[in-house]
Amino acid sequence: MASAQQEQWGTKLGVILAVAGSAVGLGNFLRFPGQAAANGGGAFLIPYFTALLLLGIPIGWAEWAMGRYGGKKGFHSAPGIMGLMARGSGGRYLGVIGVLIPLGVSFYYVFIEAWTFGYFLKFLTGGLGIDVSAPIADQAATAAGFYNSFTGTVQDGILFTGDSKLTVLSWVTVFAINMYFVFRGLSKGIEKFCSYAMPAMAVLAVIVLIRVLTLGTPDPNLPDQNVVNGLGYMWNPDYSRLTNFQTWLAAAGQIFFSLSVGFGVIINYSSYMKRNDDVALSGLTASATNELFEVGFGGMITLTAAFIFLGVSGTTAAVATGSFGLGFSTLPVVFAHMGGIGNMIGAAWFFMLFLAAITSSLSMYQPAVALIKESLGWAHGKATGAIALLGTIGAILTLWFTQGGAFWSTVDFWVGTYLIFIMAGVQIIYFAWVFGMDRGWKEIHNGASIQIPRVFKFIMKYVAPVYLIIVFVGFTVQNLSASVRASWASTGSRMGMITIGATLLLLLLIVRAGEARWKREGLDLNDTQPAD
Amino acid sequence: MTAAGWVTMIIALTVVWGGVIWCFRKVLQSPQDEKAPPGFGP
Repeated sequence: MASAQQEQWGTKLGVILAVAGSAVGLGNFLRFPGQAAANGGGAFLIPYFTALLLLGIPIGWAEWAMGRYGGKKGFHSAPGIMGLMARGSGGRYLGVIGVLIPLGVSFYYVFIEAWTFGYFLKFLTGGLGIDVSAPIADQAATAAGFYNSFTGTVQDGILFTGDSKLTVLSWVTVFAINMYFVFRGLSKGIEKFCSYAMPAMAVLAVIVLIRVLTLGTPDPNLPDQNVVNGLGYMWNPDYSRLTNFQTWLAAAGQIFFSLSVGFGVIINYSSYMKRNDDVALSGLTASATNELFEVGFGGMITLTAAFIFLGVSGTTAAVATGSFGLGFSTLPVVFAHMGGIGNMIGAAWFFMLFLAAITSSLSMYQPAVALIKESLGWAHGKATGAIALLGTIGAILTLWFTQGGAFWSTVDFWVGTYLIFIMAGVQIIYFAWVFGMDRGWKEIHNGASIQIPRVFKFIMKYVAPVYLIIVFVGFTVQNLSASVRASWASTGSRMGMITIGATLLLLLLIVRAGEARWKREGLDLNDTQPAD
Repeated sequence: MTAAGWVTMIIALTVVWGGVIWCFRKVLQSPQDEKAPPGFGP
């Protein structure tokens, strides 16, 4: 265990970029613009920024502070840290959710990451073969055909038994890259990778943004399909949508999934900070970076590009297909229309998505590695090997049960969506009400480079929990019954549920072993002693 | 794009770009980690 405790971030900027890298993912570029366009355009930004200020940033600060506090006591996993916050085993076992979420999501996220890598390779070597002289419906059919084939959505097992093995090869490549950097460790692996990948992602985003904003009116026969109207499609506000609860729900959900709060990563990453490192400015900077990629790039690029070539009806139809339809079926058609440079812009776009995805997926393994190391006393290499094995099993299931995306969408709903609300609620309530808001406020400001306005003390104690409960209840009413039915509707979805259950059981057993070990080692697992 | 669309977009971009520049300036101005001179430490 001693070796596990000595891992630390190399620099202050390193941890910020690693957390920001974890937060910036495909959703920033694909989910956010679709959500905004479908929920009032520019008006969506009002509930969106409200949720950022009242939910995302305050809960993020609590998570950063909890993690660093746990690190001082020798804990790096959510169960150990939540046990401190709750002063008992209830928190420890609820904390398992903070490992289940990133690990469970990694099972399918790396599969989707492999799509970005595979599409990058395709665009680098000539594109998807879309004939721009054909009717637009045929072009869309070509792109959709490639997407269906590449993702295996037509039939279970097709990725292993069909003609094309590019998907599996892409998965093997990206999974190996992930494992390499996780094996290298926190500072030499994850931090170093993110310190290069985040600036590279920003450069690629700027390149694609400049290209999109300079497209003008590519088809003189369709003068309305121009850049300005494309921006208007995304940004023209429809204030009437603000009276709809669904808009506020969608905005809060987007903030949640985008910032990685309640995901189990921030609490783990911040536990490797030095005891007096700043968390207030670091948390704010990581959130600000995420917002730049989401609003500043995602909000400017995706739908503008789609509108210029597809018009109002085509873009609306693309948004209706969801994030993946927009990203992997619609945008390839758009790139095909950009002429000779289109394939390079497409390659830049998908490589940027790949970087966004891998900086997120790297963060998903570390919480489980930390739990195994501190619960079982395993060395870093052995713990990484165990996670590689689990990740491979999860990925084989994901790559086999591809029909209709039932397996991964089931895991995504329960683990990657529903449990995030629960984990965030558990965290903010334990932090503000059990650990104590006065103590928590002091902990956040220990070593802080900024003074947070005192109103946030009130927000963290009262507003954020109430806001979260309202959003959670609304989300439950809206989705739960349909999702429960869908979760048992097919072999893939049933396998998804079994996978979640088996992973949860395994993690609970590991925490049980850890609890006994921590007691033997005399660790202050119920936070009965001062941290400093 | 409507005037309200322009206003919304410009405000949102100002907030996110301004926010990230302010934050990173603060981070870079704050005291950085002290490096131990060569030969120190275990």
